Amino acid sequence: MTANIRNKSVIVGVGNTAFSKDSGVSELSLAVQAIKAALDDAGLSPADLDGFATFTLDHNDEIEVARTLGCGDLTFWGRSHYGGGAATGSLHQAVMAVATGMAECVAVFRALNGRSGQRYSQGVSGNILTADAIHWGWYMPYGLLTPASWTAMLTQRWMHQTGVTKEAMFEVASTTRNYAVNNPAAFFYQQPLSRDDYFNARMIADPLQLFDCCQESDGGSCVIVTTPERARDLKQPGVAVRGVAQAAGEEQEQMTSFYREELAAITEHRIAAKNCYAMADLTPADIDAAVLYDAFSSNVLLQLEAWQFCDYGEAGEFVLGGALRPDGRLPTNTHGGQLSEAYIHGVNGLVEATRLVRGQSVNQPDKQVDHVLVTSGVGIPTGGALLGRLD
Amino acid sequence: MSAAVTEYKTLHVADVSVGDKLPSLDIDVTSGLIVGGALATRDFEPVHHDKSVAQAAGLPDIFMNILTSQGLMSRFVTDWSGPEAVIKSLDVKLGAPNLPGMVMTINGEVTACDAATGVVEVAVTGENNIWGMHMQGSVQVALPRGDQA
Amino acid sequence: MTPEEQKAFEDKLYAYVGVEVCSRKPAKDAVNETMIRHWTEVMGDNNPAYTDAQWAAQSRRGKTIAPPAMMYVWNQEGYSVASTGRASDPQTDMVEMLTEHGFTGVLGTNVKQEYFKEASPGDTVYVEMVIDNISERKATARGAGYFFETLATFSDQNGDKLGTQRFRVLKFIPQEQPAAAAADDKLEVPTRIPSPRGHDNGWWWNAVDEGKVLIQRCTDCQTLRHPPRPMCGECQSMAWDSIESTLDGEVMSFTCLRHPKIPGYPADPICAVIKLAEGTNIVSNVVGCDFEDVHIGMKVTGKVEQVDEKTMLPQFYPAQAGA
Repeated sequence: MTANIRNKSVIVGVGNTAFSKDSGVSELSLAVQAIKAALDDAGLSPADLDGFATFTLDHNDEIEVARTLGCGDLTFWGRSHYGGGAATGSLHQAVMAVATGMAECVAVFRALNGRSGQRYSQGVSGNILTADAIHWGWYMPYGLLTPASWTAMLTQRWMHQTGVTKEAMFEVASTTRNYAVNNPAAFFYQQPLSRDDYFNARMIADPLQLFDCCQESDGGSCVIVTTPERARDLKQPGVAVRGVAQAAGEEQEQMTSFYREELAAITEHRIAAKNCYAMADLTPADIDAAVLYDAFSSNVLLQLEAWQFCDYGEAGEFVLGGALRPDGRLPTNTHGGQLSEAYIHGVNGLVEATRLVRGQSVNQPDKQVDHVLVTSGVGIPTGGALLGRLD
Repeated sequence: MSAAVTEYKTLHVADVSVGDKLPSLDIDVTSGLIVGGALATRDFEPVHHDKSVAQAAGLPDIFMNILTSQGLMSRFVTDWSGPEAVIKSLDVKLGAPNLPGMVMTINGEVTACDAATGVVEVAVTGENNIWGMHMQGSVQVALPRGDQA
Repeated sequence: MTPEEQKAFEDKLYAYVGVEVCSRKPAKDAVNETMIRHWTEVMGDNNPAYTDAQWAAQSRRGKTIAPPAMMYVWNQEGYSVASTGRASDPQTDMVEMLTEHGFTGVLGTNVKQEYFKEASPGDTVYVEMVIDNISERKATARGAGYFFETLATFSDQNGDKLGTQRFRVLKFIPQEQPAAAAADDKLEVPTRIPSPRGHDNGWWWNAVDEGKVLIQRCTDCQTLRHPPRPMCGECQSMAWDSIESTLDGEVMSFTCLRHPKIPGYPADPICAVIKLAEGTNIVSNVVGCDFEDVHIGMKVTGKVEQVDEKTMLPQFYPAQAGA
């Protein structure tokens, strides 16, 4: 089939920085200067941008660029690999985003200190100063070094704001474990988690204890995506993507968005939720089951609020009422999650969400599941998807 | 001469409770301690006295032998318990090597205490400041009971 | 190895289970005060039960004893291990066989000694040893291998049992061949991991080295921003200067990194997000109080301190009441 991209996107502004052998400024500075120049050329402002496309080789994180420019919410970022092959590759990403409506205004950029910084002529050598390395530099010297420690910071704040206790986190860990107990593929197959096991486990980063944390696993997961036309000829029942969204919020950092008015609101998930529900023309009431990214037990609680299954501060009550259990309002992480099945960066979650819709989940056999939510990580630029049966 | 006996205090089992922490002990790991410890325990494995052999095995320098680690663990506990305590067992799990220039800090905590037999169990860790856990384990000592004084 | 070769190899290996490494034999030296004193000197062990005959005579025991941890010392082979190599016995044969099959790595993992009777100068320590058990092939962090355990039993000249020692050893296929270490690698005492310094943040860390915490300020619209970045998100101006923070603040959230222990860091560091009086947030450590005393809303005050040999950092203390 031919891509239906013709005339669906338009270049409206261009910008360059000064070119030199020694810019005297950071690559981030060059990136925002170039983007600002292009916005000015177009008569747009940073707030109009909702997406970025660049090279995998570029050292500037999109969220650093957005924050530096003063952008608002982002709904798209895509990168193209293979050096100079990404020149129109980046454009290709932007065009797909705009043509499909995933973003309305995307900046395609590349910025490098290619002479005063890392020189390609010198081969791969030296310390490369990336935005990522600078970012972690604000936390590493203090010992804030692990995903558990960053998530602990959000969790502590959220518990303080809402009064939710560890009882709710235990409910998440134990419900998830009970699903794993029945799942032969799960690491914790046939190994229940008692209340004593949970509350007596060692502290990792207050308030997160051992069983609030996911496993570290070896493994791989994959899903195949094709057109509805082809799907109808294949052997499994098709599972349609009703909506899928990416999102980064204001003052977004990677795991350390500690500079917002409210640290624990996970705005990125709220944006993804709003866009996903709108794309799919569904509401939370339509969702029958969920696979919520659970690197840590508290992740699940924050997402239940962000995806509007309950209000801010009410996730504790929601789960303690049994909502996540096999016959609850929203059976969740029915494979055992990353806490108890395996930690494959959420892609085993895509597998389980698909199985739920197909009626093939070990823990929800033959149940009519019309719509499933599956999400990505918490505390980072993230996203989610809504799956349903192919009509 | 009875003064000499009381000069060294020995704990009674009644003095001890689960959760008691032992005074921590810093050991400066030097080439002298490693070689001296190897010889005092008649351990002539070259990795404990010959740097070139240790380097061929992938370590930057000679490293402490197990019998010295056991000796330091035993000393750490009897420094606290006093000389009338009878060591019943020494159970050591070995971790990262101790090399010259490191400082090993030994810590301990009472994990069990049987008033009837006088046997006290102490969990011990020895961590060096560069590579972390060198040894961890438990030592059981029988302490005099108060009524035997 | 093919499955057949593996099976043949394991049959040979497991035949060592229960094999005697040495039958009961006496130590070359009787337990003696000289060797005990050499041992206590090195260990720094001042226990009078080992070396103070006068004290010992009046103690419960009535005489000095050898340190129980010396139990294995008396029967050591001695200098020949360094000069001519360890004498062959079933254990060295088994170890060699494992080495020949690629299990070249060796690591003592556990030693457990149990003591039944104390030995005193004049006693002779006898030892006998068997290969007690060999594990199935295991995948370990260091590589695939087998654990074997020897059991040594010690007795005295009267046949009274002094104690036992279980020694567990891993023979493994190293995942990475250990590179021979460089000739004189200095062991550096680890310090905190520093931030890299670039155009946008180097000036901030340089100021910390001089004892100051700065906050970047847009010179056009006066908005403060942290962490520093090259453009103002409010007005897109690239002109900026900075103000010095008073380091008065309030805890917004906090945690304590209990696990894992990180070399170069204090145990259980308390980390917090702190809202500074100037209005921007900063991440730092809370020190000078127990974890139990830290709470959200707590007032803190900071100063820049040298926290290790190489690192200057802002550190925050509980604010003095009324200060």
